[in-house]
Amino acid sequence: MARILIPTPLRQFVEKLDTVEADGATVGEVLAALTTRFPNLKKQLYNDEGKLRSFVNVYLNDDDIRYLQKDATSVAATDTLSIVPSIAGGLI
Amino acid sequence: MITVERKPWREMVNHAQATYPNECCGAMIGTIVSGPDGDVKTVIHALALDNASAGPQAARYELRPEDLLRADRQARELKMDLIGIYHSHPDCDAYFSETDLKNSCPWYSFIVLSIQKGQYHHANSWLPNAEQTHAEKEELQWPES
Repeated sequence: MARILIPTPLRQFVEKLDTVEADGATVGEVLAALTTRFPNLKKQLYNDEGKLRSFVNVYLNDDDIRYLQKDATSVAATDTLSIVPSIAGGLI
Repeated sequence: MITVERKPWREMVNHAQATYPNECCGAMIGTIVSGPDGDVKTVIHALALDNASAGPQAARYELRPEDLLRADRQARELKMDLIGIYHSHPDCDAYFSETDLKNSCPWYSFIVLSIQKGQYHHANSWLPNAEQTHAEKEELQWPES
């Protein structure tokens, strides 16, 4: 089982856990297992079209999955997934 | 409500003034306690992060996700929480702009520091929604408030 580190504001949707373990051979399968177990988390991470929200990044250990094989990236039982937002801005 | 302790507040203000006339950005680490009137967040550590915006930074900031990942790991090591993000608006009020909103995340508090002519002027905290269409003002307290 891979570990998923849950950001503080999302822990209310996963029984206040800071880390959750989930099965899956790929990042997509692990996230599917996670959101099946915790359905209220799903709408925090995915939009109505079922795509990850624009501000949601997923890291496999230290690597952004966008630069790996995205959802198809292989996951080992020793791996850790992190959910990290994209944040930017400006005064104008 | 979000309260910033004296040390991180001074660090955030110093960072914003030192970065002037550009925008600065950073992460806030601390605690969250649920109360009858909602969560009470206390900022205990401010973590200055690089403004990674590729263009002119006088009106733009961008955080690298890997820096936020590092901030989250640091918070976990401290047995604390990543509470929010701060950034500055040089020579501008501490509103939450359209650009701030469209590039925000609803999971955190966003403190905006207004720096006028190089000096701290005022600050506000904002809570954006998931659709990135609206940000609600959050009660903000700091040592000099």
